[in-house]
Amino acid sequence: MEEALINIKNTALSFILETDDPKNLEEIKLQFLGRGGKLTLAIKEITRLPQEKRREVGMLANEVKQTIENTISERLQKLTQKKHISLSKKLDVTNPGAKPPLGHLHLVTQAIEEITYIFEHIGFSRVRYPEIEWDYYAFTTLNFPKDHPARDDWETFFIKEETNPKMGEILLTPHTSSGQVREMQKKQLPIKMLNIAKCYRRQSDVSHTPMFHQFEGLVMGKDISISHLKGTLDYFVKSYFGEKRQFRIRPYHFQFTEPSFEVDVTCGVCLGKGCKLCKAGWLEMGGAGMVHPNVLKFGGIDSKEFTGFAFGWGVERVLMMKEGIEIDDLRLLYSNKLEFLEQF
Amino acid sequence: MNIKILDSWLREFLQAKATPKQISQNLSLTSVSIERIQAYKKDFIYDIEVTTNRPDLASVSGIAREASAVLPQFGIDAKYTPPSLSKPKDIKEKTKVTIVNDKTIVNRVCAVAMEVTVKPPPDKITERLLTSDIRSLNNLIDITNYVMRTIGHPTHVFDLDKIGKQTVIIRPSKKGEKIKTLDKKEYILPGGDIIAEDGNGEIIDLLGIMGLANSVVSESTKRILFFLDNNNPSHLRKTSMTLGIRSDAVALNEKGVDPELAMDAFLFGIDLYKKFADAKIISEIIDIYPNKPRLKTISVSKEKIDAVIGIPVSLKTSLEILGNLGFKTKTSGKNIFVIVPSYREKDIAIEEDLIEEIARVYGYHNIPSVLPKISVPKTPALEKNEFFWERRFKEALKYWGFTETYTYSMVSEDLYEGPIEQAVTIKNPLSTDWIYMRKTLVPSLLSVLKENSNRDEVKLFELANVYTKKEHDLPKETLSLAGVIRKPSLSFFEVKGIIEQLLHNAGIDNLSFKKSDSVPGADILIGTAHTGSIEVLDDEVVNFELNFEEIVTHATLKKIYKPIYKYPPVIEDIAIIISEDVPTNEIREEILKQSSLIEDVSLLDTFENTRTFHILYQNPEKNLTSKDIEPIRTRILAALTEKFGAKLKE
Repeated sequence: MEEALINIKNTALSFILETDDPKNLEEIKLQFLGRGGKLTLAIKEITRLPQEKRREVGMLANEVKQTIENTISERLQKLTQKKHISLSKKLDVTNPGAKPPLGHLHLVTQAIEEITYIFEHIGFSRVRYPEIEWDYYAFTTLNFPKDHPARDDWETFFIKEETNPKMGEILLTPHTSSGQVREMQKKQLPIKMLNIAKCYRRQSDVSHTPMFHQFEGLVMGKDISISHLKGTLDYFVKSYFGEKRQFRIRPYHFQFTEPSFEVDVTCGVCLGKGCKLCKAGWLEMGGAGMVHPNVLKFGGIDSKEFTGFAFGWGVERVLMMKEGIEIDDLRLLYSNKLEFLEQF
Repeated sequence: MNIKILDSWLREFLQAKATPKQISQNLSLTSVSIERIQAYKKDFIYDIEVTTNRPDLASVSGIAREASAVLPQFGIDAKYTPPSLSKPKDIKEKTKVTIVNDKTIVNRVCAVAMEVTVKPPPDKITERLLTSDIRSLNNLIDITNYVMRTIGHPTHVFDLDKIGKQTVIIRPSKKGEKIKTLDKKEYILPGGDIIAEDGNGEIIDLLGIMGLANSVVSESTKRILFFLDNNNPSHLRKTSMTLGIRSDAVALNEKGVDPELAMDAFLFGIDLYKKFADAKIISEIIDIYPNKPRLKTISVSKEKIDAVIGIPVSLKTSLEILGNLGFKTKTSGKNIFVIVPSYREKDIAIEEDLIEEIARVYGYHNIPSVLPKISVPKTPALEKNEFFWERRFKEALKYWGFTETYTYSMVSEDLYEGPIEQAVTIKNPLSTDWIYMRKTLVPSLLSVLKENSNRDEVKLFELANVYTKKEHDLPKETLSLAGVIRKPSLSFFEVKGIIEQLLHNAGIDNLSFKKSDSVPGADILIGTAHTGSIEVLDDEVVNFELNFEEIVTHATLKKIYKPIYKYPPVIEDIAIIISEDVPTNEIREEILKQSSLIEDVSLLDTFENTRTFHILYQNPEKNLTSKDIEPIRTRILAALTEKFGAKLKE
């Protein structure tokens, strides 16, 4: 019996050491240690031995089993290692990767998505209003006097169409503020609106394109104050530009807000120390203010009960104010050269 | 408008222990933006942006007055000393000047005749004007500019001997009248411009905008008419923009200058002519003032001030701020009543205007930043949110290798698809390249393709509005999603596959493609709704355009769970010979009809007139055997033979 066990051990070991294939090792394991394996069968025989021999032979059988198991696992480790070494030799990790297709979203889309993400996070909802709009919503209801320069032919694009006695001319909206009164007329207060849209002005030079994008915020409710406007601004500036950038609001003038502010953000290049690219450390981001009572009136909202603030900034403008994107000619954004688009 | 002034000039009217940097920072925060300070010799130049509502700040004295009101808020003592003015004496009325005003266009006229000597102005004036970006010519002209910059009211000087009857008749111009400005340029007037003639019918001035060549002072001038006109601003802007004449005077006048300031400027000017041009007054002092502004009273409550600012501001602080700014104040309980000074007459009309005055001087930087704690009442379902789908579609295309473009909504006639009479047309385009509002996106994408002709393989897309004219109403704006692919030996099916996957990614599977009649390509339908089309331009370029609004109405986030089958399917490929006229879809549907055990049918391969279909049989209840399949297969073949005359390929 002992001899038979030693034989099994030797046969198994010679098989194990001869093979170079890890799959064979699995088979060998089954052949000897499996349910119908040679060693398993031999162990069953032990019960037939006289009582006094069983213990000794049992110990031997266990030892044989251990040895086979250990040898298999050692061999497996060795073979795996060998395989790894040979694979590793053939692998040049500096060869190019097989990339899945990856296109590009336009810079303006990327900026719009970032802006949307930031404002949605503090409870704003995106809306969309006409790009081709009545003078009524673009100017009249925003408190623009009849002879205001913005209504001039050399500032705003007008559409060939009969003038409507109430709504006035049809035009390409020069600002997203034309959505303010439309939003108020929905009569769903309070309001936390984010209106991002194409706008048009009659200008084309290195820093102006006739079509551009603005994002407009309108917040309206009970007890909305300048303090809330500052809080919202602070959140946006830190979120969009990063924590190093500061902002300030200072007096300005717009027809549809009172008080009106200009919002400045510290220059991304000099961080407020002052340099050639900025005005004494500051870059102008755009306008903001508390909604003018005349605008509320057009929106059908009682200015004694509700107050609100609004801001409207250029998407391209805030994009250019980020560090690293100092595009010398804004028109490049809309020229659609792939060499440009594929950079982002 | 921007004005530049020297620090030393400002300090003639402002006594304050503040450095130029402090003045600049503090004014920027509370009043006007001082965009830059530039060192100049031992002095500094301020570059100041004056907003359109504050023409009272477009002068050295105006800035000094404002600074004296805001600097104390920063703990800096400041005092404003107005220019010293006195009524002229020594008047010898040797000559008679006649002024005829039209009060519908001019609010006030001040005029006086003087004998003068032409000579270079003192260095101080020349230097101040030059650093202010104003040319220095001679003492007679320089004084007018110096008065304007110091006091803030434009002034004019005529050569009295060039005015025919020593008469100035102010009237609106007639269309077609001709003038030659002092820079020797000729203009034909559009009509309704404010002009003056000399009594002989000759036009001698384009009021508030620019003097004319025929009445300008020169080296040989002996007698002048010093002339101030306070005009109706809207006329001026129209004239200036139509003729394209811009000057410092018109930039100021079109904003509406305080007529009360006219007399200050007039007296200040006369004094300067006396000092620097040896002037002697030889006519009466004329002041025609038909449109004197009425001072108004406005009130505001402390409660309202606090509500708008967001923190309480004491009545004392509010009163102090308004008082320093030149408002006369009174209180009654917690209400403040103010009389608005004439130089703020156009700007201050309602309580919100007063709150702005208090808030800005109090300092926006002193107001805390707090996020508004309001939540929006209505939340629509996410799957109805077009912005959500926009993002999902754009991202999918990006990850399939497409590059997004943004092209102009305005296109040329060449890029406009459809009858041009029906186009939404811009009345005042910048160029004929940008004149029609586009009705489709594909032509713009094709032009981008052309611009990038150096690339063999290009995939582009754009999502933007297209516009359809409506009679007497705003055009209809529809979001459209278009794409174009250029690639050697490109097939229709590559683009079809993209559209199928795009829509599948939005939960839309009830798609069908109908062959178009006009061009090679297909119309795309969701259910029965026409949603777009694919167009094959050649074997390298295929484009598509989809109505994105239509897509959003069908898009869904609904997910339906089907139990996973316990038994494996049986898969079989059947090759049949069938006429090429029969669309694959009809064959597919015919096969599907034959048994409920057919789970799916797809086209595997097409070769000449043979099409191979991949059929998947599935029984959820048990394992299928070939015995179960055989009768179905026989039914399929019989049906295809009967309906389409198909034969099994052996």
